[in-house]
Amino acid sequence: MKRMLIVLLALSTCILSAQVPAPRIASADRTPADWLTYSGNYQAHRFSPLAQITRQNVAQLKPAWIYQVRRTGIVETTPIVADGVMYITEPPSTVTALDVRTGRPLWTYTPTIPTDVIVIGSPPVNRGVAILDDMVYVGTVDGHLIALDTKSGAVRWDIQVDDNKFGYYVTSAPLALDGRIIIGVSGAEAGIRGFLDAYDPKTGKRVWRTHTIPGPGEPGHETWSGDSWKTGGGSAWLTGSYDPALNLVYWGTGNPGPDWNGDLRPGDNLYTCSLIAINPTDGKIKWHFQFTPHDIHDWDANEIPVLFDATVGGRPRKLVAMANRNAFYYVLDRETGEFLSATPYAKQTWAERIDAKGRPVRRAGTAPTVEGTLVFPNIQGASNWPSPSYSPQTRLFYQATREMGTYFYKGEPDYKPGEAFVAGGGRAVNGDDAWGAVRALDSTTGALKWEFKLVTPPMSGVLSTAGGLVFGGTDEGNFFALDAESGKPLWDTQLGGQVRSNPMAFSVDGRQYVAIAAGYALFVFGLP
Amino acid sequence: MLIASLLLTVAAAQAAANVEPGKQLFNGMCARCHGIDGTGDEGPSLNRPTLSRAATDEALREVIRDGIPDRGMPRVRRLTNNELNQLVAYVRSLGRVTATSTRGNADKGRATYEKLGCASCHIVGGQGGSFGPDLTQIGVNRGASYLRQSFLGPSETLPKGTSPVPGRGFTEYLPVRVVAADGHEVRGIRVNEDPFTIQVKDSANRFHSFRKSDTKEIEKEFGKSLMPSYRGRLSDAETEDLVAYLASLRGAK
Repeated sequence: MKRMLIVLLALSTCILSAQVPAPRIASADRTPADWLTYSGNYQAHRFSPLAQITRQNVAQLKPAWIYQVRRTGIVETTPIVADGVMYITEPPSTVTALDVRTGRPLWTYTPTIPTDVIVIGSPPVNRGVAILDDMVYVGTVDGHLIALDTKSGAVRWDIQVDDNKFGYYVTSAPLALDGRIIIGVSGAEAGIRGFLDAYDPKTGKRVWRTHTIPGPGEPGHETWSGDSWKTGGGSAWLTGSYDPALNLVYWGTGNPGPDWNGDLRPGDNLYTCSLIAINPTDGKIKWHFQFTPHDIHDWDANEIPVLFDATVGGRPRKLVAMANRNAFYYVLDRETGEFLSATPYAKQTWAERIDAKGRPVRRAGTAPTVEGTLVFPNIQGASNWPSPSYSPQTRLFYQATREMGTYFYKGEPDYKPGEAFVAGGGRAVNGDDAWGAVRALDSTTGALKWEFKLVTPPMSGVLSTAGGLVFGGTDEGNFFALDAESGKPLWDTQLGGQVRSNPMAFSVDGRQYVAIAAGYALFVFGLP
Repeated sequence: MLIASLLLTVAAAQAAANVEPGKQLFNGMCARCHGIDGTGDEGPSLNRPTLSRAATDEALREVIRDGIPDRGMPRVRRLTNNELNQLVAYVRSLGRVTATSTRGNADKGRATYEKLGCASCHIVGGQGGSFGPDLTQIGVNRGASYLRQSFLGPSETLPKGTSPVPGRGFTEYLPVRVVAADGHEVRGIRVNEDPFTIQVKDSANRFHSFRKSDTKEIEKEFGKSLMPSYRGRLSDAETEDLVAYLASLRGAK
């Protein structure tokens, strides 16, 4: 009887206590066995404090298990790991829970995606789920946000973020905070008006919507002309970061629409190609910083804003850094948005310099033309959605960098709801004239510390670990580890398909593993 | 009937009006590979009444819109319907130009091809060596000026879009010289490469695999070709005959 009571008590504790409460995510660095949010912690470091895999033993890494996705397509997922379960997404919007020891599926959920779904501007991908309490949250390519029970995959709620008929869709992992699920929308290539939404985690009720394109009467609206703001783009398609002490969410915004012809939208086109700092309680924009005013090269600022503190100019500061798609590494004060520095980290031919306020001085003759204009970086940028990593040990900012140019073409704007609204495009200079590198930058200045060259521009992110390692991947299917101090290659293997995802690390039974998706599979490596 | 012919006339007038803006788009996006006026370069010539992959205007629209990625033609960019119409109108207008670039005699050219021993490295119709690109359909895929250049100055016309390894966009048939750790040297063409390894085929058509960390030296000879140049070794007539023969290679039918 006594024993039964204990069992009952244990059971009720199990039912009552939420699995992953928000404070647990906020202190993710203290529970490195788990990986509780897209970038590993709210500061978006993509750094694992696990130190079992080291410079000395990394050469012994072997596959522990491999999971093959159910339907072919590009796999860009970052797994979430909590309490022995791994939650991944599969193309286009499926969620699967795996036993973290074996890779055996525990449940899978596939939403019904209409056959006429409109996905313009990217492949139909998904980059991962968010977890909070007893639910995992996924955005879908038909513009829904769905909450699933962590133990069964059953739908708790399913809401439409916005109407896919107009080209709204979701690819990024949501960001889960205390009482808020934050999700940004994709679709700037279809002439949407971008926004960031917050939902009640329990009910799916929308708490606020903050448009990235200000409407009439709102500050910044004057940077648009006529009705151009209505199709102004500015999607918010990559997961942002969060400072719990300042209670600010940092989120990058995408290109203005149409992409390559700015004639219809004279002005700076706020808040496109910007970083916005938002109070998650009420959705108010505290500050913004625009990297590329009046962009005409499709250089979305949908890169990861990385938060860290350091001394700049003799003064300790709270910083946010971004290796922007436009080839400059920016450091800002994250309390105020004050511009501190911008340093090119890849070849660029479009800006003479960045002025004291952080505004680029454009070089003449770099606008897209009907005949094509060669400009560096390329359309996909010197960086893109693949994650950088910041190591608090080395204080270096690791960035998989793309060295490539594009002939940019200007076309005619032609808006039709739910169709491509891009007005031009580009032809990449590829082959041996394009290459890449994993670069280690001084996090406060952007100065190059070392680089490891790649033969093609990468679409794989990087992970740094307390074992003194940086993991990365290549288009050719290599998964590799570098010495975080020197960039020296220490281990590599061939995964047989393009690596187009972000590495992460976790541990189970006291053993550290690293995971990466490549081709149509997820690979997990550990020491023998 | 009247309405139908009126519609036809309207359509024809619209197509004619599209030719000039179509030419501007073509010169920007297409001429680098297909040549000014569609005379062909590393991409096939388009100044022909019939295009093998675009028999109808609809098929041509699809090729322009989507590219033929596995044959080296990229999807350059998203085009509006109007821009597609302009490009189709211009490319079709090229087909009305008489092709004058191959005035040689293909039969004589074939004899030259055999005399020079081209078959030791190239396959035509299943016969020949496999070190160089298969030429069975080369007349479909390349224009006359490119074909002429390919044997007069092969280092300026390294093949593109012929590699059996898809997607990388590397320079194909790039000559490389690798010195292995034990000092032995391999010279050949690069077949594939990643940051850690390189795969090479030597002139005896043997594959070699190296880990870069195990080599002493890897030299990539950009701007060179392992194919000999025939500049100054052929008369003008022989040159044109060989171009005519290569242009006549249009696949096994």
